[in-house]
Amino acid sequence: MDHTVVIYSTPTCVYCKMAKEYFKKYGVTYTEHDVASDAAARKEMVEKSHQLGVPVIDIDGEIHVGFNRPEVARALGLK
Amino acid sequence: MYDLVIIGGGPGGIAAGIYASRKKLNAAIVSETFGGQSVVSMDIRNWIGTESIAGVDLAKNLEAHLRAQPDLKVVDGEIVTAVAPMEGGFHITTRSGAMMETKTILVASGSRHRRLGIPGEDAFDGKGVVWCSTCDAPLFGGKTVVVVGAGNAGLEAVRDSLAYASKVHLFVRGDAVKGDAETFDMISKDPKVEIHYQVEAKEIIGDQFVTGLRYLDKKEGGMKELATDGVFVEIGSVPNVEFLGDLVKKDPYNAIVVDHATQRTSREGIWAAGDVTDLPYRQNNISAGDGVKALLNIYDSLTKRKQ
Repeated sequence: MDHTVVIYSTPTCVYCKMAKEYFKKYGVTYTEHDVASDAAARKEMVEKSHQLGVPVIDIDGEIHVGFNRPEVARALGLK
Repeated sequence: MYDLVIIGGGPGGIAAGIYASRKKLNAAIVSETFGGQSVVSMDIRNWIGTESIAGVDLAKNLEAHLRAQPDLKVVDGEIVTAVAPMEGGFHITTRSGAMMETKTILVASGSRHRRLGIPGEDAFDGKGVVWCSTCDAPLFGGKTVVVVGAGNAGLEAVRDSLAYASKVHLFVRGDAVKGDAETFDMISKDPKVEIHYQVEAKEIIGDQFVTGLRYLDKKEGGMKELATDGVFVEIGSVPNVEFLGDLVKKDPYNAIVVDHATQRTSREGIWAAGDVTDLPYRQNNISAGDGVKALLNIYDSLTKRKQ
C-alpha cells in the first residue's frame, strides 16, 4: 500500500538521517522539508506537531515527533 | 537458556557482543538502537584508530561489526523492562512482553540526559527546551538561546548554536567550566556568547513556546530573569538502571558499583560495563574496553561452571 510520508528535518539532525535511511531501505517514498531554511515549512511543522523539535514525520496524517522506529514501522505496515 | 544476554547496544554492549560471538557463547544482545549516545555528535576525533568520524557513521560501523557476528542473536527495537533471578540464572522481560532466560547478564544500558527538574521543563519540552543541540540548533536562527551546563556537551551545544543563533548565553553553576579548554577558547572569543558564572536555572517560562528563564544569581544573590527562545539542557547524565530494581548495588548517583578489574557487580551472574557503572570517565573507548573486560571474565566464569 502507498503511504503519504512527509519528513520535516534540519541538515544536522542525525535522527532525521536515520529516518530517511530507513525509508530508503524499505522503498518508502517521502517528501522532505528543511525547516532550518524553509520558514513556511517550519510553521507548518509547528502547526501539525505543536512543538519545534525535529524530526517530525507525517505518515498519512498521523504525526510522529522524533524517529521511533517501531512506531514508524507500524504506521507504514512494515515488520 | 542463553549463556549470556547483553542489555544495551552502545560501544560497551557491542564490544562484548563481538567477543561473545568469537568465544562461541550462546549469547543475545537486546537494544532499542545500536551505536550509543555519540550518535548525535557531529565529529568524533578521539575514537582510536580513526582520525575523524561523525557519530552517526561510528554507530553504523559498530552496528555492522555486531551484525557480522555469526553466533550472536541480535534483538533490536526492544527494551528490557525487568530482570528477575531464577534457578541457575535470570529471567528477562522486554517491552513487547517477550521472555528470555539466561545464565549471565551484562548490563551495558548506558545513561540518558539528566533533567533540570524545574517548573516549565516538561511543559516546554520540544517547545524551546532542547535535548539534542545538533538536531535542533538550526531551528533557532536569529534567536536567543541559553545553554545550561558547562561540561563538554554544554560547550558543544554553544558551538552548535553559534552557527544560527544571534545570542548564546552559557550558564555555569560554579566558577569555572568543566569542558575541554580548546572548545571553551573558541566559544569564549565569540562576541555572540555571554557566559554567566554562579547561576542556577530555576524556572522555564513561556506561553506556547519558551520566552524566558528565571534563575538564581548566586554571586549577587536573588532571582533574575532572562528573555530567551530556547533552553538547551546539557547537565550530565543519569544511568539507565530502573529495570534492575534492587538486584545490584548502586552508588549515590545510581550508577552500578562494579569491581573495575572484572566488571562484576554485587550480584553473582550480573556484570556491568560503560556509562551505567560507577566509572569516573565516560568515553566510547573506555566503554568498549570495559565491555571486553566483562566478556572475558564472563567467559572464564561460564567455563568454570561447566567443569
